[in-house]
Amino acid sequence: MSVAWIGSQPVSLTDAIQNAAKLLASSRCPVFTFDADVHGTRSTIALATMLGGAYDHASGQVLANEVALFTNHGGMFTTPGEARRRSSLIILVGEIPTLHHDLLQAWASSKPDLGDKRSRSWFHVGGAETDPSNGKLLRQLKAISLRSEGLSLNAELAVLRAQLQGRQALVSLSNIAQLKKALAAAQFPVFVFSGSSVATAGLVMLQELIVDLNIRGRASSVFLPADDDAWGSALTSLWMTGFPPRTGFTNSLPSYDPVLWDVQRMINEKEADLHVWVSTRGGQIPPKGGQAALISLNRTEVPTGGAAVTIAVGQAGMDHDGVTYSSRIGTFRTLQATAASHLPSASKVISQLAEALPGKRILAC
Amino acid sequence: MKALTFTLISQPKERLDLSGLTPAALAGLSDIQVARLRIGTRRSPVAVGDVFKITGKDVSNIVFEGGSARFDKIGAGLSAGSMRVTGDVGCQAGRRMSGGSLCIEGSAGDHAGSCIINGRMEIKGNAGDYLGGPLAGEQIGTEGGILIVRGKAGDYAGDRLRRGTIAILKGCGDYAGYRMIAGTIVVCGRTGAIPGYLMKRGSLLFDRRPENLSPTFLPCGEPEIAFSTLFDRFLIDEKIMDRALLGSKPGKYGGDNAVSGKGEILFRKRDR
Repeated sequence: MSVAWIGSQPVSLTDAIQNAAKLLASSRCPVFTFDADVHGTRSTIALATMLGGAYDHASGQVLANEVALFTNHGGMFTTPGEARRRSSLIILVGEIPTLHHDLLQAWASSKPDLGDKRSRSWFHVGGAETDPSNGKLLRQLKAISLRSEGLSLNAELAVLRAQLQGRQALVSLSNIAQLKKALAAAQFPVFVFSGSSVATAGLVMLQELIVDLNIRGRASSVFLPADDDAWGSALTSLWMTGFPPRTGFTNSLPSYDPVLWDVQRMINEKEADLHVWVSTRGGQIPPKGGQAALISLNRTEVPTGGAAVTIAVGQAGMDHDGVTYSSRIGTFRTLQATAASHLPSASKVISQLAEALPGKRILAC
Repeated sequence: MKALTFTLISQPKERLDLSGLTPAALAGLSDIQVARLRIGTRRSPVAVGDVFKITGKDVSNIVFEGGSARFDKIGAGLSAGSMRVTGDVGCQAGRRMSGGSLCIEGSAGDHAGSCIINGRMEIKGNAGDYLGGPLAGEQIGTEGGILIVRGKAGDYAGDRLRRGTIAILKGCGDYAGYRMIAGTIVVCGRTGAIPGYLMKRGSLLFDRRPENLSPTFLPCGEPEIAFSTLFDRFLIDEKIMDRALLGSKPGKYGGDNAVSGKGEILFRKRDR
């Protein structure tokens, strides 16, 4: 079975690498989009560094929203393990992505063994825009709803903060008295949120609310990323360049700018002339638009539509071993291949690409 | 002496960093030295002479004939003199300017007037998001001066404004005055969702009753205050507006009560 194509023609991996390297060497403004494990991400960033390109994650917009809380404001965070063991009061904020529902259900079936050791109670601040798909989870957790008809989540968070500080607001949230009572009794209340469910402004309001609570007691938050792999890529990018994705290289120095280095915008506005798409998840296709030539490193059995060069790559944890981020443990974990295949890893292909560039340079990772 | 003029030869293929083309940075440089300054941001080293035809000698008065949405950081760090662009500009126009005047006759991109310290910046077209706001990782937005947008502004106008005046004359997007610390924002026309969200102090002045306020802003009646008349006069004297904005007895909301409730929204009552 073929693993490399030039256009729609199957070719050897070596030919595809040579062809892709020519495109990279002649590019004026190459851009890179990735969705890979730690090694794939590191290799892609190292190649972008070498070529003076810009890089972004495939879920760039959601990730930028999550990153903005950290770059523009900051916050108080704890680990999921600490919340499970110490917190008897959990307040869910907005819609929690389905991938984290098992984690929350596991918390619900356990009791804190540290702190006040009371049985856990749950509240939920939803907002008018919250997807009803969270309803089943909230019923299972017996979460008490804090809401006011027709208010957006950001407005509800503002009202919640005002009411907890004893300040006036034009409306009141349902069950606020119950929450105040629970907060008074709990030694370590924890707010759980995801970056995909609340706009950055709401996340900032939530963090300032937590700061208010810490004046008189102790409170914190657990951040559950919308996509664990994307958050792992953000952390990997931070350790390599000092910045999260949406970083570019001008005069060999990295600079972070969520507007200027938005790869999709650069493609649409014809600033980029070459797009390198690295996706090991499978089933994903690069976004259309612009006139940039496309090199696709994809978990695929057929050439990517519109790509000048396609090279099939494997997925960490399936086709080969790898390292990914897990929000459940709050750090990276190793994955063993469950169905080892002939597909090369993205990092291996990118290393070969770097070696095929003029000057035979070695990737700095 | 004729103004130093950069005439655009053709639309640039890449984004340009024009922060080096200010009166202070160009003082004492010959035409050849100016033409060799690197302004490209990509792998090919694009220089001033590749993109612009340079005429005139007066570096304290700089004119860009022709504009592009790829002209980034134009007038950034301007401390004295005047700059004028006859077309559009890209991101971060006038960033951290501390004096002089910058006039953009077209529209500007995101972060226009970011963190201005002093001086006067005027955009005759529209402005993008985060007008006057800080970049990622910065704690304070505009700290002084006057920033005028004759068209519309995007979302988060006046983010973390600390001092100075921002005037937007044809409406703005969501979260105007987001995280305001102090200072004044004037908006004529419609405002988007939740103006004044997380504002600590400062004044938001509207030409109409705001529609989408957070419930943490409370109505405070129609106080008779000297400030509104004085500020109306300031807007007319500075040629920002040609008629009074608020009148002598504007409506008032106080907030954001989620923060400290020390900010205010003043608006012109339509029935007068």
